[in-house]
Amino acid sequence: MTKNFGLYIHIPFCSKKCDYCNFVSFSLNESVQKQYLQALLSEIDLVKDKYKDKTISTIFIGGGTPSIVYGGFVRELCQKLFSSFKFAKDCEFTIEANPRSLTEEKLKEYLSCGVNRISLGVQSLDEVVLNTIHREQTPQDVYAAFKLLKKYAVKNINADVIVGLPNQTYSSVLKTINYLKPRVQHISVYGLQIEEGTPLYNNIKSGKVAALPDDEVAEIFHKTAKNLARSGFKQYEISNFAKSGFECKHNYSYWNGTNYIGLGVAASSFINDVRFSNTSNFGEYINLLSKRQLPISERENLTINQKREERIMLALRTSKGLNLRAFQKEFGENLLVSKKHAIENLIKLNKIKIEKGFLKVVDFYVSNAVILELI
Amino acid sequence: MTRQEKIRNFCIVAHIDHGKSTLADRLMEATNTVAKRDMEEQMLDSMDIERERGITIKLTPATMKYTYNGEEYTLNLIDTPGHVDFSYEVSRSLAACEGAILVVDASQGVQAQTLANVYLALDANLEIIPVINKIDLPSADVAGTKKEIEDVIGIPCDEACEISAKTGLNITSVLDAIVKTVPSPKGDENKPLKALIFDSYYDSYKGAVSMVRIFDGSVKVGDEILFMQTNKTFMVTEVGVYTPQSSPTECLMAGEVGYIAASIKNVSDTKVGDTITLKNNPLEKPLDGYKEATSVVFCGIYPLDGDKYQELNDALEKLKLNDASLHFTKETSLALGHGFRCGFLGLLHMEIITERLEREFDLEIITTAPSVEYKIYDNKNKEFDVTNPSEMPPMASISKMEEPIVKMEIITPKEYLGGIMDLCADRRGIYHDMQYIDANRTRLIYTMPLNEIVYDFFDKIKSLSKGYASMDYELNGYQQSDLVKLDILLNGEICDALSLIVHKDKAYARGRALCEKLKTVIPRHLFEIPIQAVIGGKVIARETISAMRKDVLAKCYGGDVTRKRKLLEKQKEGKKRMRRLGSVDLPSEAFVTILKLDD
Repeated sequence: MTKNFGLYIHIPFCSKKCDYCNFVSFSLNESVQKQYLQALLSEIDLVKDKYKDKTISTIFIGGGTPSIVYGGFVRELCQKLFSSFKFAKDCEFTIEANPRSLTEEKLKEYLSCGVNRISLGVQSLDEVVLNTIHREQTPQDVYAAFKLLKKYAVKNINADVIVGLPNQTYSSVLKTINYLKPRVQHISVYGLQIEEGTPLYNNIKSGKVAALPDDEVAEIFHKTAKNLARSGFKQYEISNFAKSGFECKHNYSYWNGTNYIGLGVAASSFINDVRFSNTSNFGEYINLLSKRQLPISERENLTINQKREERIMLALRTSKGLNLRAFQKEFGENLLVSKKHAIENLIKLNKIKIEKGFLKVVDFYVSNAVILELI
Repeated sequence: MTRQEKIRNFCIVAHIDHGKSTLADRLMEATNTVAKRDMEEQMLDSMDIERERGITIKLTPATMKYTYNGEEYTLNLIDTPGHVDFSYEVSRSLAACEGAILVVDASQGVQAQTLANVYLALDANLEIIPVINKIDLPSADVAGTKKEIEDVIGIPCDEACEISAKTGLNITSVLDAIVKTVPSPKGDENKPLKALIFDSYYDSYKGAVSMVRIFDGSVKVGDEILFMQTNKTFMVTEVGVYTPQSSPTECLMAGEVGYIAASIKNVSDTKVGDTITLKNNPLEKPLDGYKEATSVVFCGIYPLDGDKYQELNDALEKLKLNDASLHFTKETSLALGHGFRCGFLGLLHMEIITERLEREFDLEIITTAPSVEYKIYDNKNKEFDVTNPSEMPPMASISKMEEPIVKMEIITPKEYLGGIMDLCADRRGIYHDMQYIDANRTRLIYTMPLNEIVYDFFDKIKSLSKGYASMDYELNGYQQSDLVKLDILLNGEICDALSLIVHKDKAYARGRALCEKLKTVIPRHLFEIPIQAVIGGKVIARETISAMRKDVLAKCYGGDVTRKRKLLEKQKEGKKRMRRLGSVDLPSEAFVTILKLDD
């Protein structure tokens, strides 16, 4: 049994949704936020007994834009959490914030609640790029946010950077990461996914916006990763780079099979080989909880083969790779035998390597194709 | 009046769409053979594919009763498949009749297949009754159509029936004409049994059933019959007529049309054109004109999912039960695995079989490029036949090659003449003759290699002429030719299923087009894939699929795991449907590209 236990809380509010986003988020007023907080508190009440003997080692408040909710929201939420669950002493506690809404008041509130890691949605410092995706943010917002973080001596900061946006070039990305490198300990570089139904998807389909060709995105990715590595940011997962000791424990739990609880609308949980998630319908979420009912809408009991596939797929996202012996112990399958031909081929193509009993992906940007050969 | 004097055996010949099936329906309605309420549109077309396309490959025969001048006559309508692929079957059906109704669409006039079939009917010495159909259409030109029939075919049209099969207008005039014009059979009941098989089919209860025309003698249940070509004997279990459902009778006698069942397991024992006689009182010699059904067009058929090989085998066996002209043998391809090399009477036949496999048997299949049968002579002048390009021996050991030639007849409105003649020239056609059918339409005669028309010639002609041109072809022997085998190499390995035999002058263009097309359908891999077109070791065209650089979901957190796993599972499923050649995964579209190079 893995000792770690993660807790995720979803705050589904944004001042305005960006063009590429398909996350569950709403731009709603304070009274709706209050309703939502009440629902969250009810949900905690409903589940807390189930997890009373667990020690939670990571908390992640994500969104949406958690920093946009009214002052006091997070404090009330945290008080409830601390009175309902047991937490490890060195618990990693992250909250996501966007540069524009992270005020001094809010930062003080977070820090006083025990937040010890701030994840800042920077995305890009290039105004052309920000305008293309209609993100309500300027480079000045970012500069101001970092000034604030410096003032309060926050020592564990992540910045999200997105790669592959229309009109983006490597030099545009470089400008962004060069600014960030001396100021943060962790950088998440996301490849843009053009999700069906988003305004960006529609704009690209109608020809209003030109998508960056895959090869160009890959090129930017490769160069960015190399640049970050030179500055001491190790790529410990496909889209995550950290200075030594600053890897995000919470995110890591998603890739190594750790159990986690997700609270809030559309949040997902993974407990003892069962994946389940809450409804993504905001009204339904509020309604069910007002009636003291769990808002779970989907539940999936993983079969052995699904577990096996997930193990390969998730472990190969990380630089640590797949522990072949542990895999054999768990699934009774020696991949070196069952996938002999594919593994030999991939090694020959320099797409994977085997080191000290771990199978690792060398070229992360074709990891899908590599994983397909192995599952 | 004697028994035989009250029988009329006739068939209907027509071009596709000119209304053969509709007319047959109306005749049955008018004779109360089928009550109107039981009428299904185009009653006699028994296959879905035929009904859908409005073309008739096989009509079920029908026996109708019609009273004329107070006498009741038996009218036997016999099937003629309306397509050139089945011209041998047409000739056997015609041999079973004394007369033919020639249906011509008044809005379209004489078409290529009208001619092909009417010539066959004239060859068989049938009385021809011209029927001008669709006279209710605003675009109908009755006088013009009659003149055309007189000019082009040479049949007088003074008394031609003018009808609309669709509305039922003047249908009885056709029935009257049949009684008046078609000669009655002149068989001898006392002579030994002489019955012609003009078609056969498999019935799961009765076994292989022969559709027959009795020329002399008679046959009844319990008779021991002899099939003169196959030299097999069987005991008759049932005889009967088609009303149009099969209805048992006591016996079949000279002049009649019906069926004979004899618990025969295999339709290949009831060959079209064979003569049935009685074992104890046999004929001296069979009827003339028997031919073995020979395959003209060949292709490989493989299951898309390699595990479905046995199912494909079973499906082909079942189709063969009813279709003695379908030939197939096991074949193995490096690229496609286990499958079958199939031989067909022609292109339509091929299309029908592949479509039936997909529709009736729910099989997903890959078909390789259609091929013809080449005659290849080696250095010692020994001849052997090649239908699969991958079986062609190395050029060095070949002294001479021959390919089948067809005589092609095309009828087209003259504004499309230029385009069609260009197409024929491009397909190595040799011009023979051109005639004006009327002020607007022209009849072209070409000879050209069959291998030039097996791909897309018909589609091309149709699109060039906006659907107005019609065509027909017949085999016209073999001709020596400068042929080469064009191979496609993927990542250095020959993909046997993509090999082609082409004329030397066309190899370069085709090779290049193939490489270009394949580049668009083969997905990028983790490595670079050269695509090469090669003739005898010499590369004539090359394209390269560059290595995949990006295939990643660069974000995967708690809520994404299930979605991502499902995405991978879907991709894995898609990959399973591809064919792996060496290390290259080929989607099934790759094998279709070869058929559609010009798109």
